[in-house]
Amino acid sequence: MQSNAALEYDYTVAKLFTYTTIVFGLVGMLIGTLIAAQMAFPELNYLLGEYGTFSRLRPLHTNVVIYGFMLSGIWATGYYFMQRVLKVSMAESKLAMFLGKFHFVVYLVIATGMVVSLFMGITTTKEYAQMEWPLDILVVVVWVTWGLWMFTLIGIRREKALYISVWYYIATFLGVAMLYLFNNMEVPTYFASGGVGAITHSVSMYAGTNDAMVQWWWGHNAVAFVFTVPIVGMIYYFLPKESGQAVYSYKLSLLSFWGLMFVYLWAGGHHLLWSTVPDWVQTMASIFSVILILPSWGSAINMLLTMKGEWNQLTENPIIKFLILASTFYMLSTLEGPIQAVKSVNAIAHFTDWIPGHVHDGVLGWVAFMVFSGLYHMAPRIFKREIYSKSLIEAQFWIQTTAVVLYFTSMWIAGITQGMMWRAVDEYGNLMYSFIDTVTVLHPYYAIRALAGVLFMIGLVMFAYNMIMTMAASKKLTEEPQFRSPMA
Amino acid sequence: MFHWLEKNPFFFAVGVFLVIAFAGLVTILPNFAESARPLKGLKPYTVLELAGKNVYMKDQCIACHSQLIRPFKAETDRYGQYSLSGEYAYDRPFLWGSKRTGPDLHRVGNYRTTDWHENHMWEPTSVVPGSIMPAYKHQFTNIADIATAYAEAVTVKNVFKTPYGNDIQPGVKAFEAYKPKVLAEAKKIAADMKNKDVKDAVAAGKIPEIVALIAYLNRLK
Amino acid sequence: MDIRELQAYATLFATIILAVVLYWYIVYLYRSEKKGEKDYEKLGDIALDDEIHSKPINTSDPLPEKKERNK
Repeated sequence: MQSNAALEYDYTVAKLFTYTTIVFGLVGMLIGTLIAAQMAFPELNYLLGEYGTFSRLRPLHTNVVIYGFMLSGIWATGYYFMQRVLKVSMAESKLAMFLGKFHFVVYLVIATGMVVSLFMGITTTKEYAQMEWPLDILVVVVWVTWGLWMFTLIGIRREKALYISVWYYIATFLGVAMLYLFNNMEVPTYFASGGVGAITHSVSMYAGTNDAMVQWWWGHNAVAFVFTVPIVGMIYYFLPKESGQAVYSYKLSLLSFWGLMFVYLWAGGHHLLWSTVPDWVQTMASIFSVILILPSWGSAINMLLTMKGEWNQLTENPIIKFLILASTFYMLSTLEGPIQAVKSVNAIAHFTDWIPGHVHDGVLGWVAFMVFSGLYHMAPRIFKREIYSKSLIEAQFWIQTTAVVLYFTSMWIAGITQGMMWRAVDEYGNLMYSFIDTVTVLHPYYAIRALAGVLFMIGLVMFAYNMIMTMAASKKLTEEPQFRSPMA
Repeated sequence: MFHWLEKNPFFFAVGVFLVIAFAGLVTILPNFAESARPLKGLKPYTVLELAGKNVYMKDQCIACHSQLIRPFKAETDRYGQYSLSGEYAYDRPFLWGSKRTGPDLHRVGNYRTTDWHENHMWEPTSVVPGSIMPAYKHQFTNIADIATAYAEAVTVKNVFKTPYGNDIQPGVKAFEAYKPKVLAEAKKIAADMKNKDVKDAVAAGKIPEIVALIAYLNRLK
Repeated sequence: MDIRELQAYATLFATIILAVVLYWYIVYLYRSEKKGEKDYEKLGDIALDDEIHSKPINTSDPLPEKKERNK
């Protein structure tokens, strides 16, 4: 480790993932907005024939935003800050560089295959694990490559202590690896039947209730290890760096980490309350879901306290606005989740629109806002240009915040209305409403939700435009900014 | 111990892994055998029904329909007997769903007919005014993939010991020999239908997706 | 003792052990800071001072590095 004046952090791979974040964000959320509108205006189902129905598009929306937008964002930021907190450049290791690029290429192949196969209806239907077995194998390759890259970089690090964000990324790697493998155990029918039928088709290793348990063990923890753990890792880096304030309590961040690791996995069963899984699994999932508030809020409060004495930045810097609102939404959705996991509340909430409502205040308000602020923070540093427009970020912030609030409030009302109507009985104990009554009544809320989708989409287009202009046309920087990102 | 862990990322990673894995092992493993036991008298899906299940998966009916009746009076009144674990023993994958934009379908075979499904899939609002479900007209022309359904039956028979008869055997030849049985089953369904294209296709030995799907939906009881 | 009962005990003990370890860790964190062995709060600066040429923050290890791993 000789000091070399020309040595710089290498952001090649971070840039590549930044591009895919933007592209998949646009595609995934456009589909999302369309399917939200379809629920209010069913005529929109017929734009693409067989390929444009709500049912065909819904898994496309979830998969493209989760594995396209979100994962790209997680990796773009990961390839950026991991080098920095370990104080080692990817340019110093040919292996790390190769792994990074290989990772990106295979990732792009999978993402393309995923979009095509889901459009064609080739799917296992297990939520957030819809990809069929050939893609699953590639996923394993990508994941292992990413892990190898991380440990290669850690192996040659200068900073001996691993910063807390690195811990979170390691946990993401391990958690998803284990869960994904178990959940995607499947037998390709073509090979097991002596060459009959479609080569892509497979059957799950597990049947019925067992399949459900494994699936939601995964489904819930995809939420844990893709929507939460790496995103917490991101905020632990970007908020301190952008504000110039060290984490309020590093010890609290360590405790929250272990708390989260320990508790999160137990809560998966709360997706299966009142189902045919054993009672004790359900009860335990309920209890642990409530305990989960503690480590989640530990991190969120830590973030808010980090801003102590510096709250003026909130009015001056729109990136700080995004970061702070993100951790606030994190608190909201980690409170809302446990409430829904209480068995009596779940009896009403399950199967209704309150669930997508809850998901979206988390993913839009927390995950997407974190991805936006991470990329905005990175842009001046990786492209060596000032951010193109501050007022665009401000406008984006307010439009998208309005969108998220409209989204979850309308879905709260829709969900509770529907849940109550399903169970409403008249004085003789007969059901009061036929099923279709509980659908038509939701029309206004679906319309509001579609509007929220359009607003969020507008904000996203502003983000994409701002990023592209930053890359292409903004004022060049001679020196890397230390904390606050420069913007015009 | 902690000092050492903080210094060794590898063992730290092992620690994280153990903590994460622990919950999974405790919750899932010990109930596996018990939950897999089929209800007495439960029959495996026929090949045509499996093809229908694959249509159900392909068009992602699961995006809006559940197959899980919870043990509440409001649910049993609306949909029938609450769901039992043993009823799902041959469901690979499980199709419980997570959202009821439309009603539960676990026992839809008890109260809907071939005729009703045909009208409904062609134009949902014709039988349910106000429905926001899209029409699935392409199912009337797309031909169902019987070969893959057969392959699935062979797979679950050989790998998971699902009790199918001896006529379900690996290989393309065995499939060709089995095909007429599937067609005979499809003809029974098509006899109750009125769409001319569908009837013609079945008469010509092809099975449109809608026929397989209805076979599957009728089986859900 | 059937598998259910075994499972229940295993869960109980493992949960207790993990909870104890977690609390032990809290005690360890504060103790080692009090004794001056470590300074965790300083690690927060890793995010702030992350230039490639700046000096690594971590000095919590009082022992000299036995082998140089950065090659």
